[in-house]
Amino acid sequence: MKQMKLKGVKFLIVVIIVYILLLIFDNQNSLVALQKSGMIFLKLIPIFILIIGLTALINYLLKPKQIMKYFGKDSGAKGLFYTLLGGVISHGPMYAWYGMLEDMRSSGLRDGLIATFLYARAVKLPLLPFMVDMFGVVFTISMTFYTLIFAIIQGKIIDSINSFRENSTTTKS
Amino acid sequence: MKLALKKAFLSFISMMPMLIGVVGLVGLMQIYITPDMLSSFFGYGDILDVFAGTFAGAISVGQGMISYIVAEGLMQQGVSIYALSAFILSWVTLGFIQIPAEASVFGGRFTLYRNILTLISTILVAYLSVITVKLFS
Repeated sequence: MKQMKLKGVKFLIVVIIVYILLLIFDNQNSLVALQKSGMIFLKLIPIFILIIGLTALINYLLKPKQIMKYFGKDSGAKGLFYTLLGGVISHGPMYAWYGMLEDMRSSGLRDGLIATFLYARAVKLPLLPFMVDMFGVVFTISMTFYTLIFAIIQGKIIDSINSFRENSTTTKS
Repeated sequence: MKLALKKAFLSFISMMPMLIGVVGLVGLMQIYITPDMLSSFFGYGDILDVFAGTFAGAISVGQGMISYIVAEGLMQQGVSIYALSAFILSWVTLGFIQIPAEASVFGGRFTLYRNILTLISTILVAYLSVITVKLFS
């Protein structure tokens, strides 16, 4: 098994420095923020467990070749459908899903589908009743529809940019 | 399955510094970015309010449910439906504090392209949704 490389260490150091500065200059608020962060982290633990389980299940059931087939360069409408579905039913904050996506990306998941997944997360099934209550049925349906359409468009644009870059690199070399 | 679970666990642990950093920032933002501050962004007409809604959503953090509660408060203050839809959308899809984490995982180029596209999409979805409602009513 390859050596584990920690991600975002520099970023964490910057956040720690911000906290230290705030502890000096705004002690009360920074302590409340620290407490809030701790509470958020605890609330996220079930989501983290779910994501670890899901990642393991994907690793177990889908070999890199299959990930390539379903979510790789030549994956068609099926890959898009599963990605949209995954985005819509996924829970928790966006950053909690980065690990699983990175894992799948290293096995062949294309960047366009990552963008599609991340934007499709804007459709939150449990929150749709609130949207209907606030804005009405027509608005909720249209917003959901346009969000999914733009999730697909974003994915297509990202893939087009990538293939353009790949082609120009090949031409140059 | 045991090996797959171990691999998934190690992969998740490698993300820990990034996750702790983002959660730390989320805590800070929840203290320093208040609903009153957000409401001060609005009231400059439909077009500018959509941009304000997008920006306000992007700097806000928390569960999606909270965005609806804040949006309801903004609605009562007379903020337009264009701005509110942009606000709710960008709350979930954009996050300024997540950008460093996203870049460390997926690379700067992907993060830049995705966030620019998300910004544009959010504004367009907000306008298109409201226009569609107006067409049907």
